Amino acid sequence: MSGNEAMRASASVRIEGVVKRHGTTTVLHGVDLAIEPGEFFVLLGPSGSGKTTTLRILAGLEPVSDGRVFMDEVDVTMREPGERDVAMVFQSYALYPHMTVAQNIGFPLKMVGTPSVEVAAAVNEAAAKVGIAHLLGRTPGQLSGGQQQRCALARAIVRQPRLFLLDEPLSNLDAKLRMETRLELHALQRNLGATTVYVTHDQEEAMTLADRIAVFMDGRIVQVGTPREVFSTPRTIEVAGFIGTPAMNFVSGAWSGATVTVAGVPLAVRASTDQPREVKLGVRPNDLRIVAEGLPARIERIEDLGDSCIVSFAAGESHLKLKSDRLHPVKEGDEVRLAFEPGAEHLFDAQTGARL
Amino acid sequence: MTGRKPFRSLALAAVAGVGLAVWVFPVIWGLLTSFKTERDVLAYPPVWFFKPTLDNYREVIFGASSIMPNLWSSLVVSTSATFFTMLFAIPAAYALARLKYPAKRASGFYVLATQMLPPVGLIIPYYLALQKVGGLDTYSGLTLIYLTFSLPFAIWLMVSYFEDIPFEMEEAALLDRAGRLRTLWYVILPQVRGGIAVTTIFVFLNAWNEFMFAVVLGGNRVRPVTVAMFNFISVEQTQWAKVAAGAMLAMLPVILIGLFAQRHIVKGLTVGAVKGGGRR
Amino acid sequence: MGSGTKPARSLAAQERRFALALFVPALLVLLLTTTVPLVYLGWTSLQKLDMSMPWLSGFAGLGNYAKMGGDPRFWNSLVLTGVYTGTTVVLQVIIGLSLALLVLQIPKGQGLLRVAAILPIVLAPVVVGLFWRTLVLAPDFGLVDLVTRTVGLGSHNWLGDPQLALISVIAIHTWQWTPFAFLVLLATLATLPPDVYEAARLDRAGAWQRFWHITLPLIRPAIVMVVILRMMTALSAFAAIFAATGGGPGSATEILNLYAYRTSFTELNLGYGASLAMVLLSITMAISYLMFRLRRARS
Ligand SMILES: Nc1ncnc2c1ncn2[C@@H]1O[C@H](COP(=O)(O)OP(=O)(O)OP(=O)(O)O)[C@@H](O)[C@H]1O
Ligand SMILES: [Mg+2]
Repeated sequence: MSGNEAMRASASVRIEGVVKRHGTTTVLHGVDLAIEPGEFFVLLGPSGSGKTTTLRILAGLEPVSDGRVFMDEVDVTMREPGERDVAMVFQSYALYPHMTVAQNIGFPLKMVGTPSVEVAAAVNEAAAKVGIAHLLGRTPGQLSGGQQQRCALARAIVRQPRLFLLDEPLSNLDAKLRMETRLELHALQRNLGATTVYVTHDQEEAMTLADRIAVFMDGRIVQVGTPREVFSTPRTIEVAGFIGTPAMNFVSGAWSGATVTVAGVPLAVRASTDQPREVKLGVRPNDLRIVAEGLPARIERIEDLGDSCIVSFAAGESHLKLKSDRLHPVKEGDEVRLAFEPGAEHLFDAQTGARL
Repeated sequence: MTGRKPFRSLALAAVAGVGLAVWVFPVIWGLLTSFKTERDVLAYPPVWFFKPTLDNYREVIFGASSIMPNLWSSLVVSTSATFFTMLFAIPAAYALARLKYPAKRASGFYVLATQMLPPVGLIIPYYLALQKVGGLDTYSGLTLIYLTFSLPFAIWLMVSYFEDIPFEMEEAALLDRAGRLRTLWYVILPQVRGGIAVTTIFVFLNAWNEFMFAVVLGGNRVRPVTVAMFNFISVEQTQWAKVAAGAMLAMLPVILIGLFAQRHIVKGLTVGAVKGGGRR
Repeated sequence: MGSGTKPARSLAAQERRFALALFVPALLVLLLTTTVPLVYLGWTSLQKLDMSMPWLSGFAGLGNYAKMGGDPRFWNSLVLTGVYTGTTVVLQVIIGLSLALLVLQIPKGQGLLRVAAILPIVLAPVVVGLFWRTLVLAPDFGLVDLVTRTVGLGSHNWLGDPQLALISVIAIHTWQWTPFAFLVLLATLATLPPDVYEAARLDRAGAWQRFWHITLPLIRPAIVMVVILRMMTALSAFAAIFAATGGGPGSATEILNLYAYRTSFTELNLGYGASLAMVLLSITMAISYLMFRLRRARS
């Protein structure tokens, strides 16, 4: 790939105040995003939060109700999908069932009048990149799920688009294949250097693939950052609860000075406050410890996962989980005391859910 | 389910067999009759084994009352009606099934309503109008009125086939820079080839079998085979064997189509019935 | 990349333009071939237009409609239309459904039965009418007479006797179109999930209860659809009756459709024929409207 093409193969993307309404329901309430050239950018969020809608707006498949979309600082809001030079891999793959794999992959080139010799060469190259060069003569119906997925991928990369959009491309694969393909996808993107926007609701996928993540909640972006930032400093309680498995534990408490008092038990926290207030205290299961002094809790269940174990507790009203890679010498029904790794706590405003 | 009660399943088979024989037998009987001499036809009790003759067929093909010109008329008018129907129906059905445009629901309903029109209500104005412009006894006049029943039917049948395609198809093709027209041509139409074939068959069958329009708007030049058969019986009252031979010849195309496209016809009937189209 | 040169257009507007370009030709054809003629029909129905007495032609206002009130042949045709439509539709659904339920339990040979059922459907109604008139219903030599004579019921003039003629044309129509109901219902029944039946069996539902409480509700939409379509066909039935009896003897099998036709093209009274056709049109439209309302209310 020449330098010129490499430049062309990655665009910067910016969207400003994008609003999307379906009739009276608003599904996107003013979304802003700026994506760097060559970045692997993941849209993460629970089901129905507006990720697909955002992606389709980038593709031009969905008109915006308000706001603007820029690619390389050119306003493309009103531009048709075919004129945006973007490629998309659909969740259902949307392969053309009546065409062979080769015809599928070559279709986007054929449509711009590329000579058939060049099409054939490009098809072979793209198919080789995703490892389906031996399947070119088959039709999509004769492919396995993983092969179909690769075919869809090849169809997207063959034209070296400026922007590469993927909507949960791995969700139809089984767990093992998903893991493998994830790594390959990452390597492929690095190799091509194309700006990539990737939708998923699987936070593990997001963590491993993304340069940066945008977390969607109810039609809004609540946080943008690197996987590490999003994991370690979630901006709201929803983000904190969404990222990480098992989910972060939350207990209500009263914060004053450098202590949060939970169910009468004072727990030391790093930050201190002048004015006492109600907070939600969040602790990741990995950071929870069974100790001599701390929050009293009763063990409800112990799940042994082989390489690690998850212990569930009931502490007053709340249910907590602890994840550890060594088996604890405890059994179900035991009364224990819990604390957390110093400094591992997350504090959120009890009313607004914002990080404190 | 049935293994436990062999008697019951036998009885079931017998009832179903009788029911279905009732549908087949008249046609078989007609086929047999067409090979009989007129004397054998009127034998009582009826003869099952007789010396078959091809005289009846010779007569209706080469004789004075040959129906070959009528078969030709039927072929011309059915083919042209089918061609024009599909020409207009496929694009319209595609728009109706998959695109957004103003007053779409209303226009879909309009198409459905036109399908409900009784033919006798159309034939009077057509007769008067075609008479004025000299359009009686012409292929174009008959083709035009055939569109009245075949076009709405074909549109609705095609809609149900277009609806079966996943909606991402167009989006993928649009992103592949195919544009609307080439998306339709390269991506969508190849996927409804089966539906186009079934619809074409239905439209052709309906046109071939049509009688009322043909008898009023046809004439000496354009006389489809259905009309010819009708005239035949008025003239050749008692020559059943000849009538049977003519009928067999006239119905040969549709019977063959019916047998070969059997599976598709059932699907077409069901699709039409379930989705709300279909006059047959 | 050249994508910035085209003027920006909105996707929705472009889709709309494309859709209209595809749909409008068919719409125009339909307007021209169905709606304009209907308006002309309405106009004709207000005319005195008798080809046998062309000198009397002129505007008649609602005269043609008024004339119907005192026309016994019209009322007769209306009754016959009701009888013909009602009986043929009911018979088709009952026979078709029973047969479909039976055939569904036959493990083998369903394909053959389907082929057999296709046969009457693809035949031209006029040919069916001729067939029945000659080979099936003719006195002495027709198949039916052969049977009745063999079992000692004697020979009958099936198409010559007014009452028998009505029964005969109903039989012909039922013969030809029951396969439609049969095939559609068979296909619908075949798509029903078997686990529903197994669950019901475990609940100790008898065969009849299973049919009444499970099968029937599940296939109701298909039945309603079959009924609608069959009514439309029956209301505008023409060729088979025309070929078998011509509407006779007298007007014994003259349903409204045939009456409108004969008035227009045998007696050449096109004005009155048009008004009769308008009545049939209103009946058809009213019934389809009601049936679609019913269908929507159910679903
Ligand atoms: N055509 C439509 N009409 C009305 N509401 C819609 C339409 N399309 C999407 N929505 C709504 O918009 C919201 C966002 O949908 P979107 O598909 O973007 O979610 P998502 O984040 O991709 O979810 P998932 O992870 O389930 O795919 C949902 O609540 C959905 O119900
Ligand atoms: Mg989605």
